[in-house]
Amino acid sequence: MPSDVAISVRDLTKTYRLFSHPGDRIKQFFSLGIKQYHRQFTALKDVSFEITKGEAVGIIGRNGAGKSTLLQLICGILKPTAGCVLVRGRISALLELGSGFNAEFTGRENVYFQGAIMGFSRSEMDKRFDQIADFADIGSFIEQPVRMYSSGMFLRLAFAVAIHVDPEVLVVDEALSVGDAKFQAKCFQRMGDIRNAGGSILLVTHSAEQVAHFCSRALLLDEGELRADGKTTDTLALYVNRLGSTTGDVGGADVSSVAADGMTLNPNYNKHETRWGDGAATIEDACLVQGGHENPAALAPGLITELRLRVCFHADIEQPVYGLSIKDTQGAMLFTTNTQHLLGMHGVAARRAGDIAHICFEFTPFLDAGDYLVSLGVANETPSGIVPNDRRYDLLKFRIAHPLLQSGNIAMNPSFRILDFARSAPVLRNDNRA
Amino acid sequence: MRRFARYYLLGQLIKRDVLLRYRGAMFGVAWVFINPLLMLCIYAYVFGHIFQARWPQQENGAPFWLVLYSGLIAFNIFSDTVSRAPTAVKNYPNFVKKIIFPVEILPLVPLGAALVHAAFNILILLAALTWTGQINFQVVLYPLMLVPLVLLTLGLSWFLAAWGVFIKDMSQIVPPFVQMLMFLSPVLYPASAVPEALRPLYRYNPLGAVIEACRSSSLGQSINWTSWSGALVLSIIVAGLGLYFFKHSREEFADAL
Repeated sequence: MPSDVAISVRDLTKTYRLFSHPGDRIKQFFSLGIKQYHRQFTALKDVSFEITKGEAVGIIGRNGAGKSTLLQLICGILKPTAGCVLVRGRISALLELGSGFNAEFTGRENVYFQGAIMGFSRSEMDKRFDQIADFADIGSFIEQPVRMYSSGMFLRLAFAVAIHVDPEVLVVDEALSVGDAKFQAKCFQRMGDIRNAGGSILLVTHSAEQVAHFCSRALLLDEGELRADGKTTDTLALYVNRLGSTTGDVGGADVSSVAADGMTLNPNYNKHETRWGDGAATIEDACLVQGGHENPAALAPGLITELRLRVCFHADIEQPVYGLSIKDTQGAMLFTTNTQHLLGMHGVAARRAGDIAHICFEFTPFLDAGDYLVSLGVANETPSGIVPNDRRYDLLKFRIAHPLLQSGNIAMNPSFRILDFARSAPVLRNDNRA
Repeated sequence: MRRFARYYLLGQLIKRDVLLRYRGAMFGVAWVFINPLLMLCIYAYVFGHIFQARWPQQENGAPFWLVLYSGLIAFNIFSDTVSRAPTAVKNYPNFVKKIIFPVEILPLVPLGAALVHAAFNILILLAALTWTGQINFQVVLYPLMLVPLVLLTLGLSWFLAAWGVFIKDMSQIVPPFVQMLMFLSPVLYPASAVPEALRPLYRYNPLGAVIEACRSSSLGQSINWTSWSGALVLSIIVAGLGLYFFKHSREEFADAL
């Protein structure tokens, strides 16, 4: 295979034999294939793709779509029924939280043992141990048996080990979902470093947001088949279409094709936005208004600001939810809300196909000087969960030109009252008597 | 994985296995000595004192318990390992399904742990031989005598570990069989005491031959090299078949666990 390919998967098929009784496996063994004692279940069918070095690829799909089977095959834990997998370089896998950890041993002992599994000697792990302990950041718990750990600590340590063994291919399956937001951000930053250094990353998650933010390419698996392989936004759009198929025919335009909308003319438009959704409703226009000015070059902090958006409906939506979030340019989420938070479950009227809704969010940006990114979304709350119709991450950027009067990033709306000591003195005397 | 890294990993696994058994116990690793001494006392009391057992041709006047102990060490390697073999892989589904791991070394772990315990037992044996004045240079051959037994045990472990994954009953079936073998193998009596017709069975099966050879080496008698070599050949075959079977069925472990 070409030298820049890290993972090559060719016509990969995995069929499980399902035995209804454990004894049937023995009967099968002795029957030498004359009689069949099992049912077959094909978890993966003819999957082929290649992943190059330095690529981060997300794998999405419903439960039972074959994602974990695919990862296990790539790791060489399962053997393919047909086809082949070639992986170049050291592979580090985080398939399940803390598997390979022994609960009776301390964090330190387990770190060294994980190292041994990865083929690192004691002295090689000595060099890495401090970095691992630093990254995991679980303090003196590192000397405690891991059965004392919370699942968050478990994840921290397991992840810290997995990324400090110089992986050339890093495989992460759902594991990150138990970490807190700050740790997740740290993990993604570290995975970004690995990717930039030429490592390949495979990320399986149910969180479309994680894939949208981290992966440039995504694979969609459904019923064991590779349904899509391409840009993250395209794959996510298709995924949402499939997931949302219960809501009936989605007559809407595919969002990714509605690029030439009014937004691009907006001076605050961020052309690096990430957009996905099933297209049953689309955000056509959005603008910031402050003090009567539309899309001002810079916003003043602490003044009431409106965010106006126009949403076109291409299908009937029973319970629309409109949302927005604001991030700083480092990606830290500063604020997020939606109409369901603000108005409750049935706060927004149902919309029919062809409707156009004008929505106005009002908020007061108590923010320090700097650049900020606004993400917008419209979704449909269905009994089976939220179906994103149109999500436009980092759609608008705005600048706060002048710093807040106080120092710091966020205004706490402070005020001072000088309590006159002389006048409050009687109160003190009362206290003394009591 | 590099060969060296594999040995290091195996070493770590065995260390964990041995330490885990004694972790948290009040006497800690002292149990490594206490356990075999207790067993030795009981055998000496029951067979030596109550049954008044004598070897048909008393071995240079060595006390019964010493003769018994020199063979029992070898048998214990076999019984400890084989009784644990069916669960050697079954108890570690994570190593099979969730991480990239050389599974074929898992059945080596009980064997390694048993050998660590055997090493302590041999130290006790040496002390006992010195104490009773029976010490002789031939005892240095003792570890060599064990080679066929180790290979046989290894082969059986691979078999049983693989079967244990598919047939959960194996962990119930094997230990009683091992106990039966304790009485059927020449541990409590010499092979020469069994009826003439059965003697070849004792002489040429690796378990019997090794126990006899171990006893001879520690008590300074002539070693039956023919039966020892025969046992060696047989155990190499068993080990080879065991590894082949294990590697062959390894692909299905992840499906069955």
